[in-house]
Amino acid sequence: MIEIKHKAYLFDATRCIDCRACMVACSVENNIPTDKTRIWLAGIGIKGEYPELERATMVAHCMHCEHPDCMSACPVGAYTKRADGPVLYNPDVCIGCRYCMNACAFGVPHFDYDKGIIAGAFIDKCTMCPQRIDVGEEPACVATCPTDALEFGEREELIALAHTRIQAHPGRYIDHVYGEFEKGGTSYLILSHVPFKELGLPDLGSDPINKITEGLMEETIPFALGWAGVLSAITVGVRAFKKKETMQEEQPAAQETESEK
Amino acid sequence: MNKTLSRRDFLKLGAASAGMVVIGQMLPPLVVRAARENGTLSASGDGIISTMCEMCVWRCGVLAKVKDGRVVKLEGNPEHPHSRGNLCPRGQSGLMNTYDPDRVLTPLIRVGNRGEGKFRKATWEEALDLTASKMLEIKNKYGAEAMVFSSTHNLSQVQFENLLYAFGSPNYGTQRSLCFNAMIVANLMTYGMEEPARIYDDKLAYILLTGRNLLEAISTSETSDLSHAIDRGAKVVYLDPRYTKTASKATEWLPVKPGNDLAFHLALLNIIIDEKLYNASFVEKNTLGFDEVRKEVSRYTPAWAAPLTGIPAETIVRVAREFAAAAPHALAHNGWRTSNFVNSFHTQRAITILNAIVGNWGVTMTEADGEESGTLGKPAQPAYPRVSALRLDGVPWKYPVVPFKLGVFQELRDNIVTGDPYQAHGWFISRQNPVMSLPDRGRTLEAFAKMDFIATVDIIMNDTAWFSDVVLPEASYLERYDPLLPVGDRVFIRQPVIEPQGEAKSALWIYKQLGERLGLGDFFQYADDEDYLRQQLVPLGISLEEVKSKGYAELKETPHAGETLEKSWSTPSGKIELYSETLAKVGFPGVPTWEEPPQPEPSEFYLLTGKVAQSTQFGTQNNQLLNKYSDEPRLWMNTKTAGELDLADGDWVEASSSVGKIHTRLLVTQAIRPDCVYMTPGYGHISKGLTTAYGVGASDSVVHVTFTDPISGGQALSQTFVTVKKA
Amino acid sequence: MKLNLRVTENLRRLPITRGMWVMITLMAFAAISAFVRYAYGIGAISDLSNAYPWAFWISFDLYCGVALGAGAFTIVATVEILDLKEFRPLLRPSVLTGLLGYIMVVIALLVDLGQPVRIWHLMVYQNYTSILFEVGICVMLYTTVLLIEFSPVLLEGFKLNKVAHTIHKYSWPFIILGVVLSTLHQSSLGSMLIIEPYKLHPLWWTSLLPLLFFVSAVNVGLGMIILESSLSSSAFGQGLETHLLKKLAKADVYVLLIYLALKFGDLAWSGELNLLFTSGLMSVLFWGEIIIGALIPIALFTRRAVRESPKGLLIGSIFVVVGLMFNRFNASWFAIKHADPLSYVPAFMSHVTYFPTLPEISVSIGIVSAGVLAFTLAAKYLPLFEHGEQAHSGD
Repeated sequence: MIEIKHKAYLFDATRCIDCRACMVACSVENNIPTDKTRIWLAGIGIKGEYPELERATMVAHCMHCEHPDCMSACPVGAYTKRADGPVLYNPDVCIGCRYCMNACAFGVPHFDYDKGIIAGAFIDKCTMCPQRIDVGEEPACVATCPTDALEFGEREELIALAHTRIQAHPGRYIDHVYGEFEKGGTSYLILSHVPFKELGLPDLGSDPINKITEGLMEETIPFALGWAGVLSAITVGVRAFKKKETMQEEQPAAQETESEK
Repeated sequence: MNKTLSRRDFLKLGAASAGMVVIGQMLPPLVVRAARENGTLSASGDGIISTMCEMCVWRCGVLAKVKDGRVVKLEGNPEHPHSRGNLCPRGQSGLMNTYDPDRVLTPLIRVGNRGEGKFRKATWEEALDLTASKMLEIKNKYGAEAMVFSSTHNLSQVQFENLLYAFGSPNYGTQRSLCFNAMIVANLMTYGMEEPARIYDDKLAYILLTGRNLLEAISTSETSDLSHAIDRGAKVVYLDPRYTKTASKATEWLPVKPGNDLAFHLALLNIIIDEKLYNASFVEKNTLGFDEVRKEVSRYTPAWAAPLTGIPAETIVRVAREFAAAAPHALAHNGWRTSNFVNSFHTQRAITILNAIVGNWGVTMTEADGEESGTLGKPAQPAYPRVSALRLDGVPWKYPVVPFKLGVFQELRDNIVTGDPYQAHGWFISRQNPVMSLPDRGRTLEAFAKMDFIATVDIIMNDTAWFSDVVLPEASYLERYDPLLPVGDRVFIRQPVIEPQGEAKSALWIYKQLGERLGLGDFFQYADDEDYLRQQLVPLGISLEEVKSKGYAELKETPHAGETLEKSWSTPSGKIELYSETLAKVGFPGVPTWEEPPQPEPSEFYLLTGKVAQSTQFGTQNNQLLNKYSDEPRLWMNTKTAGELDLADGDWVEASSSVGKIHTRLLVTQAIRPDCVYMTPGYGHISKGLTTAYGVGASDSVVHVTFTDPISGGQALSQTFVTVKKA
Repeated sequence: MKLNLRVTENLRRLPITRGMWVMITLMAFAAISAFVRYAYGIGAISDLSNAYPWAFWISFDLYCGVALGAGAFTIVATVEILDLKEFRPLLRPSVLTGLLGYIMVVIALLVDLGQPVRIWHLMVYQNYTSILFEVGICVMLYTTVLLIEFSPVLLEGFKLNKVAHTIHKYSWPFIILGVVLSTLHQSSLGSMLIIEPYKLHPLWWTSLLPLLFFVSAVNVGLGMIILESSLSSSAFGQGLETHLLKKLAKADVYVLLIYLALKFGDLAWSGELNLLFTSGLMSVLFWGEIIIGALIPIALFTRRAVRESPKGLLIGSIFVVVGLMFNRFNASWFAIKHADPLSYVPAFMSHVTYFPTLPEISVSIGIVSAGVLAFTLAAKYLPLFEHGEQAHSGD
């Protein structure tokens, strides 16, 4: 088997028949409780007016971004991105602040709102099935898909495949592979027959979102030191200035008293 | 008032009964000793066992992952032609069927009234003794024919039929007449075979689907084939009054008026014949009765068909021309029952003729591999007793061309109620749910009330078991052996992945035990399940251990499909019979004929039924994994129509037919014809033993009216009309 | 019976006013809600969901709570850094307001965090790219600094004047540190929103968010000093230092003008001025916060008559504070695009709306009540409104 250096998924919305085998497979593979899910269906569903109708849905799970905002935002570093693709979550350090849920542009991390402090309230999300991919299997969702709507492989190859498929069927797809460049790239790539917004995907630029915030963080210490210096200078300077003024005021008075002597 | 659950309750019920359910941790782990000895499982109970799914009729090959003696994951077997490494959502959820907390794991004997659900646990001895004694009592008092046998065709069917024939009753009821009688009989008349195999190759360019929502009514490999064909660029024309998921992928969706698919197909024949688009040489060489067909369809013009179907004449003409042009790389798919009206038999005949006259035979369709285990061995047994009694389902005395193995189930039920030509007194049901499947549930319960004794074999307290006197717990498909099944040029095995939980036993064991107590032990000459399989393998010369470890064995002589040099069909003439003398002889039209379908009154709706990918018939609604990802069962109604009736999405409505009424929530959608409403079958369970499914949704069987096609015996499930009003 | 009588008699003898009983009752409701939350999860008492991971608690307790504590660093900078000694009488109460405010934030977080027991993880597991990490550390450190800055008052209350004096003598580094930390975390609360550029409406989202949050924090700091002084003077019968407050009110006008210049300048720079009136509800929210929190206070505080009247100062400061809270609620909740109402499967994912529940709000109200109660007790038993030794020490 060819070793995949950088793993990714390709989802083709035209092939997905919304059977949800992927979801059942994921629940079984990862022992997900009945009232939670790591993978779900999003999209506007049926659009149009009878009989001119169209259907648009997408299987959504973690995008395994190249520049994960969850990883950037988590204060205790509960997220890591493996070199070969998966973004993984470590419940052992998580404090349950849920900032990652805000940071994620795709609404991926889900939280245990029903667990008290003894059971422990944690985040849950798709892991790319490391227990499977590390032994040469595909993630559970991909392996079971009867129509190959979900495919798995080397990211660059899948991107090339996606573009080839777009060219092979002119007019069928939106000429764009979502995730190729969005926010610096993701490892869940999507082909669609409808605008990506209708699948529930946000319209993102190609710059990583966390560029600004990480830049700000890098400037924090220098800024703090600089600001402390400025404030100290002001503190000393204001008093020195005032002392000088009072001394100047006292001097003529002293001279007067002296002259009076 | 029989109010079904609100959506909130629906969710709560699922969540509450699931609690903190984690897959596979319901019951104590037990290790499959034999598999360990075989080396398939490690000493700690880990490994992979090859078996076959039973979550629907497609029977995909499954590789079951076992850890610590529990099934933890099911994968599609890449070696099996029906799965090719994939599993549909029901296949993936299979282990939840096995680990369902509502499993019946001991034999049960009723103590309260029928339908109260009061049972006491019993030993197998007591339950089997009781069942056998009751069956013999009925046999002695009223004759063997007073005992009715029902099953849903599955791998152990061969032994079920063994029991049936050995007992000497002619009365067999199965769900086939609720499903595909029209299709089978039409194929038998035209091609002399039950169902040709369909070939999806890279050249297949045009597919005409009449109903057969393949992308929701998933048959894994065929669904995959269709999807790949669409992906490649094949054109799919799909007739359905509802915008299903197949409609959304089809190249062209034709929202045909229910019951009028027949007009569409007759008009296709009209154009193809009139414009000489058919394959004349193929017709000349291989078919019989072309002239009769030509004469009949000459009046079925597209202009005639357009107002009946609601499809423009130009479209009908164009489809006919496109289909013929694409032939022989074209396929008119029979589906199961097209529009599910009485006239669907003629529709099926028209479809078979459509394929024949453009010469698709051998290209996109060919003879199927039989499901008979012809090449396998079987235990020795004496000859069956002669049966002289009439069948209660009217075959063949009322339904002259319906094959015995299909029967007319709804007629059987009706004649149990009427007692005409004689009264049945007992019912032995295996793995079937007539309370939910037969139309007109009220009438089915009337039939139950006529029974002196009812015994059911099932894995869970389904609705039929709920009304039975004895419930015999079968082991689930992950816990048992079943007779070997040839698929293509291999024979695949179903073998236990885990030991049966509780007292559950395989059907092979149950039928034998019952058979022995009925004095029919000679018909069950196998020591145990494994012995049966070994006897099956004798002609192949392969050991059972080899089949178990590999999951399959190659067959020695392979009846390869479509390899016959001489094209021949098992019809009386040996040719494709466009005109069927068999039909004409008994007074039915020999060629497909227009039969005007009934129409609803202006205040009524066609009640459509259909399939979803997250359930199978009536047996999976209790599966918590499927339940989690299922849509809430609601009554679909067109947005405009709902507006006219002042109904809003989510309203509670009452739908009534001439036989019953149900309460359910409304789904207002654009995805259905304005004159139709739709509900997904399989909900509205009345067995409280199904804690996840009980009370969820409403049952279509309550409102379905019994209409039987006199030719094929098929039940016309979509011919029921309902009124809908706010509840 | 006898025991009961004695208990109620003793309770009546305690110096607890009716107002304090109200506070205690509200605190009790909060405690019960919190207990249920700890037992059964956040979802048991709030309407938070996967679509709304942050809503009322974070907007009110964290964003507003931290902002409203900005009076402390503002007055400390004014008195101790800029050496404007005349404002010293305002120092102690404002520092206490700040200290209590930050303690309330921490208590609120102990309810909102999924794993409050693990709050110490911030000190051990540290992700240096996370703005929230910076906020967390800064808040922890700053609360400590405030405690140190306020400790002389506590010590004087316990008659440990010598120790109080020593601490005050060596508090310079803490004063600088306090202002630096405040600058960092007040601005970082704004920076935290930068990672949601596609969720936060462009009328609020900008890379200038830290600067805008800092300037508005200074503004509300001034507003809180005025408000707290006004309320304290009527509650505890203290005189109102109108002569000081009027100068703060005037300063606030300049701060607000700077804020408006930055805000509208940034919108112009980003080419987003066209959104000001065309964004539907967002426009209403935006102009609401600008009018209430900036335009009306400017209009009021530019008038000397308003600045010099106790009533004018009170009303003006209320507008400042309410307007700032409006801004924080907008930026952290109302102007953020939450999950779209698409068709979701499974059904339990379709819960994409939010409205705070009563228990949810009761937690915040109870915490605020605790803060008010603490302030009242401090006013009663500590030399909060005295000038103390600091009046003559320092240079």
